[in-house]
Amino acid sequence: MTTTSLETRSPQAAVAAGAAEVWRDDTLDLASERRARRRASRRRFLTGAGGLVGLIIGWQIAAILLGDSVILPSVTETGQSLVHYFTHNYPSQSPPLWKDLLISLRRVLIGFAAGAGLGVGIGAAMFSSRTIRHLIDPVVEVVRPLPPLAFIPLFIVWFGIGELPKEVLIAFGVAPVMIVATLAALDDVPDDLQFAARTLGASKAYALWHVQIRAALPGIITGMRIAMGGSWGSIVAAEMLAATSGVGFVISQAGNYLDTALVFSGIILIAITELVLDTGLRALVWRADPSRRGARKD
Amino acid sequence: MRSLTKVFRRGGRRTVAFSEVDLTIAPGEFVCLLGPSGCGKSTLLRVVAGVLTADEGSVVVAGRQVTGPAADRGMLFQRPMLFPWLTARDNVLFGPRAQRSRGMDERSDAELQLDADSILETVGLIEFADAYPHELSGGMQHRAAFARAVITRPSVLLMDEPFGALDAITRLRMQQFLLAMWEKYRLTILFVTHDIEESILLGDRVALMGGRPPGLTHVIDVPLGRPRDAESVDAAAVLATKRHIRSVLTH
Repeated sequence: MTTTSLETRSPQAAVAAGAAEVWRDDTLDLASERRARRRASRRRFLTGAGGLVGLIIGWQIAAILLGDSVILPSVTETGQSLVHYFTHNYPSQSPPLWKDLLISLRRVLIGFAAGAGLGVGIGAAMFSSRTIRHLIDPVVEVVRPLPPLAFIPLFIVWFGIGELPKEVLIAFGVAPVMIVATLAALDDVPDDLQFAARTLGASKAYALWHVQIRAALPGIITGMRIAMGGSWGSIVAAEMLAATSGVGFVISQAGNYLDTALVFSGIILIAITELVLDTGLRALVWRADPSRRGARKD
Repeated sequence: MRSLTKVFRRGGRRTVAFSEVDLTIAPGEFVCLLGPSGCGKSTLLRVVAGVLTADEGSVVVAGRQVTGPAADRGMLFQRPMLFPWLTARDNVLFGPRAQRSRGMDERSDAELQLDADSILETVGLIEFADAYPHELSGGMQHRAAFARAVITRPSVLLMDEPFGALDAITRLRMQQFLLAMWEKYRLTILFVTHDIEESILLGDRVALMGGRPPGLTHVIDVPLGRPRDAESVDAAAVLATKRHIRSVLTH
């Protein structure tokens, strides 16, 4: 029973004696947990790459079995076509593919920036005022499910046939998504997080910027990822219907000439561009929200 | 030193959250606010914090009338409410940095870091200073939130059922932790709870809330010396207090 006195020694006495160790949690090894998470994320990446490689192999086998390059060109044919036309003019009047890609990218980015800026602004305004929220909410709900493509003829009548109608189209698709995402992200920030900041001496403006908006950032960027995907759908469709340049136009032209390899080239180009943009946005979410760096989510 | 007086009455449109509450807390005192759910104790705490305003009456902390939230009244919540995008150290530094941005703290970042690290050392989190909240256990998150709240040296620390969501063992540890910190930093604490034993274990005095409209019904002195540990509440001396509180709360 000699150990009793040790066991009942109160932690307070221990702290008074300078031993802060009583509170330490030895079961948690941060470095090894982070290593394990990095390993898991590497494994996830390799598995994902394996899935893509499988898709390409499956495509190649199917193409060889079919033996008809108009219906399904092989991976190698498509690759050759992509590499060739990336820098060479297409037989019709078009410029090389990289120029079309830049044209499409420009349209998407300008429209996206405008739509995202507008959406975040309107979402924030709806968050800050009940009246504005109740006023705009039904408008958003009516507009949001509408396919932006239905408005192409209208935008052409309103804004002519230049770049503007395409950019407006993109913005028109992006804004409602961003309004909803921004509002939801701001709503999701617990009130107590703001209160905590205020009781730590933060001014109203400081808490708004450094806590409310900062806490909503990951949700807003996630909204951007969704909106970005939609943008490419809109731009390609718009270019197929009413344009004389851009990747969508090339795809539609190539289809007319039954140059299936070029159609695939355009699709792959869009896929790669989307992947790059999405990876960039995803990296932003990671930066903004450390808890997503774990292996469980994403 | 400082003395706090709170006198207020708060009338909502029809529901009165609480009315005519008078309570004075001496510097260095640990007062528990005990009552059933919905008796307005959390609302009372938020009025003291300044995030809600009283409809009548006033709160005075260290001679100054409360008009809004400020760093002289630190607050801890049921959930740790750490900022998930900041490391433990940066969470602790949030208050000093926010105050520096309004010119209320002139120390350099290096000096602030030193201060933060010394508090993290005290709460046993120095090895986890660079960890993000989601990487910490529940108890560790609460300790980090505590460190964040005391670095600004508040005149009074307001705690809103801070350990209510913890498992029983972690809770016991956190209670001991809090008592140790209370002594070390000579804190003044107003602690909201609905747990009778917790209020007796922690408080110098226990203020009971209840009635209709809710208000302070009794303020009871806890007949227990310091320091206390988990077994203190089993002492014969407090049995009578426990019974008394229970009978008051259940009528």
